[in-house]
Amino acid sequence: MIVKYFATIRTYTGENARQVDDPPVTLGPLLETLAARYGARFRRAVFAGDELSPEIIILVNGRNVAHQGRLETPLAADDEVSIFPMVAGG
Amino acid sequence: MFGWTGTILRVDLSEGTVTREATDPRMARDYIGARGLGGKIITDELDPATDALSPANKLIFAPGPLTGTFAPSAGRYEVITKSPLNNVIACSNSGGSFGPELKYAGYDAVIVEGKAAKPVYLWIRDDQVEIRDAAAIWGQDTHDTTDLVRAETDEDAKVACIGPAGERLALISNIINDMHRAAGRTGVGAVMGSKNLKAIAVYGTGAVKVADPDRFKAAVMASRQLIQAHPVGGAGLKAFGTNVLVNILNQTGALPTRNFQDGFFPTADKIGGEALAERHLKRPKGCFSCIISCGRVSRVDHPDYLGFGEGPEYETAWAFGADCGIDDLHAITKANYYCNEYGLDTISMGSTVACAMELFERGIITTEDTDGVQLTFGNTAAMVEMVRKAAVGEGFGAKLAQGSYRLAESYGHPELSMTVKKQEMPAYDPRGVQGIGLNYATGNRGGCHVRGYTIAVEVLQNGAVMDPRVTEGKAGLDILFQNLTAALDSTGACLFSTFGIGGGELAETLSALTGVEYSLDEFLKAGERIWNQERLWNLKQGYTTADDTLPERLLKEPIKTGPAKGEVSHLDQMLPEYYSLRGWDEKGVPGKEKLKELTLN
Amino acid sequence: MANVLMIHPDKCTGCRNCELACSFAKEAQFRPGAARVQAYTWEREGMSVPMMCQQCDEAACVKVCPTGAMHRSRAVANLVDWTESVCIRCKMCTIACPFGNARYDAASSSIFKCDTCAGAPECVTFCPSGALEWVDDQMQVRSRKKAYAARFKDAFQEVS
Repeated sequence: MIVKYFATIRTYTGENARQVDDPPVTLGPLLETLAARYGARFRRAVFAGDELSPEIIILVNGRNVAHQGRLETPLAADDEVSIFPMVAGG
Repeated sequence: MFGWTGTILRVDLSEGTVTREATDPRMARDYIGARGLGGKIITDELDPATDALSPANKLIFAPGPLTGTFAPSAGRYEVITKSPLNNVIACSNSGGSFGPELKYAGYDAVIVEGKAAKPVYLWIRDDQVEIRDAAAIWGQDTHDTTDLVRAETDEDAKVACIGPAGERLALISNIINDMHRAAGRTGVGAVMGSKNLKAIAVYGTGAVKVADPDRFKAAVMASRQLIQAHPVGGAGLKAFGTNVLVNILNQTGALPTRNFQDGFFPTADKIGGEALAERHLKRPKGCFSCIISCGRVSRVDHPDYLGFGEGPEYETAWAFGADCGIDDLHAITKANYYCNEYGLDTISMGSTVACAMELFERGIITTEDTDGVQLTFGNTAAMVEMVRKAAVGEGFGAKLAQGSYRLAESYGHPELSMTVKKQEMPAYDPRGVQGIGLNYATGNRGGCHVRGYTIAVEVLQNGAVMDPRVTEGKAGLDILFQNLTAALDSTGACLFSTFGIGGGELAETLSALTGVEYSLDEFLKAGERIWNQERLWNLKQGYTTADDTLPERLLKEPIKTGPAKGEVSHLDQMLPEYYSLRGWDEKGVPGKEKLKELTLN
Repeated sequence: MANVLMIHPDKCTGCRNCELACSFAKEAQFRPGAARVQAYTWEREGMSVPMMCQQCDEAACVKVCPTGAMHRSRAVANLVDWTESVCIRCKMCTIACPFGNARYDAASSSIFKCDTCAGAPECVTFCPSGALEWVDDQMQVRSRKKAYAARFKDAFQEVS
């Protein structure tokens, strides 16, 4: 699995992407693992308490996890996960 | 009047006369200002059959009531005219400082009519208006024009002008104000050029008055807080600019690539906002009264593409980038500078180059047509060279400056022009995002994203999250966005303030400023009225439901790679409901009941 | 403890909210050309700089004022005050200020000069980017000095 980071998330992780071997089967534990690695700023960006933060956009294979079960979104070993802060433009 | 100045300036360049008239309070109330007011004037005064490049066309510069106040990010104005690109009511929106200065000079609108016998510029200093000889500045780029005009008028005058592209009546030329801001789309630069009007310089010492100062300040403070607390309006746009969208659209699989042949561009990260912030950004910039500061002051130090200016924005990075198969941000930024300096719309320009690249790769055109240039996707130097040629009207470039529809049609392949109603579609692939496709198809000025920016909800999670791949609920979503945006555009506020506030805050701010009470309902109704007004004009131009469509490619050819592989646009599943919810018949014609409800005849 | 209005031109985005806030605070309308603060923009360079009265200790405007209308405030520290009732509008202050921060406004027949809005400067409230700071005069340059010092911290952290 490859996890990609964008915009300010990159400042929290210090890298643009990370290969994750043997990922957990749902999103929640994956984010927990990443938060443990990257620290408090990353954690605050992705979680609001125990819930997925409303200000984070996470795509699994291009689909927003909001439509796939949020933290319960199932993950497969060859998935691509993209993590964005809320962004915008025109 | 409060908010509005109460005066409209009318300049007849054929007769050389300047007159003033009172702003009709009822018209101001019902159409608000800027886009709505300008559209109403066009509807009332212009014969629909008018040739857009003839002296009979009218060119209107109109700020809104909020323009010139400290309502957050409320420095906008519109250029309204009949479009020479596609005959619609072109309302082209721009920021910077020009709009507010029109208010301080005392005007809700400046209507330019006729055609000057020789190149002229307009100098407006409060109620003193002069039509001046522009022989010395005709032919100059927009930056030099701005400086030269200021040297002759006032060093702090705000200037809106055309570059050489508008002078040559290029159909995708724009009007540039404050050197780096553009009234970009639908060829408004060509209308200005057709009137021999090179520039307008304005300086105002007047004031914008407030009906209820305490209520207004409270409304503004509340709005400011909402925007500043919003992750996008508060920090995101300032840090990365609009170009931050490259990656999220690409990861969604909806970044149109190589003239919409695909929806995924593998090296997109090289041209996005992150890369821009790292390599070319000097500092952020804000338009008048803006608290968001999405502007990018930038420079390119690469020896082949040296330059300094503002940008690129997302649309620009896409148009000269993914759409042309190019991932060189230096070159893209340079192309962007050419467009600002010479006065060309970056969306239409990039998309036209992409169209030419596809024509070339398919062998429909050859190096004989392209002045010897190998115009293939990914050929960075060729892209920049073509933009330069288009900017100065040289060789094949002169053809490109007329837009992709005329280009493709002239070679017998209009289906390769990625346009709706002859205007190039922006940087979102309808096959990957269903709702924006409906907006492209039904947009009153053709391929356009800003007037119904469903991306905010379908991709960017602003306020709500809707699945971009489904068609359910998209008709209603589009209508809501289109109506709200029409009202917002007419106030003078910037669209980006909606990363934070909504119609409620805008209605309250507008009411407190003008002393005219707008409920949220009435505010949205004004937007619906303005939308229908534009639609009625289009019907008179001969547009029908057949034109509310998308290029065949998007309806029939699935995206080839990336997360949205295999998807097509399902416009047919959304359009009938759209018409119905709008109160239009199955041909997209507004019903009598609806028109009565909106007090449109 | 007394505050000063510190300017950080490097943070200015040219939005002119300061001018609007000032104009509105004084006149309840928007006439930014007549504000006591002006943010000038150079479009080619993409730079903007806000300017307002620096409340000089040895103020030239105070020195030339024939009536004492311009005077150092006795009540408030770091403030050059203007008493409207004794001002004869001779405009000597506008001639004397080397920075151009005092001006005569014909429309209102006043001398316009920043008075820090009785200790709660509106321009600071409205500036979205921190280009204007209302800061204790002991800490005036702290944010800027520290921002640069942090670069050394980062550089040394990497090698040691």
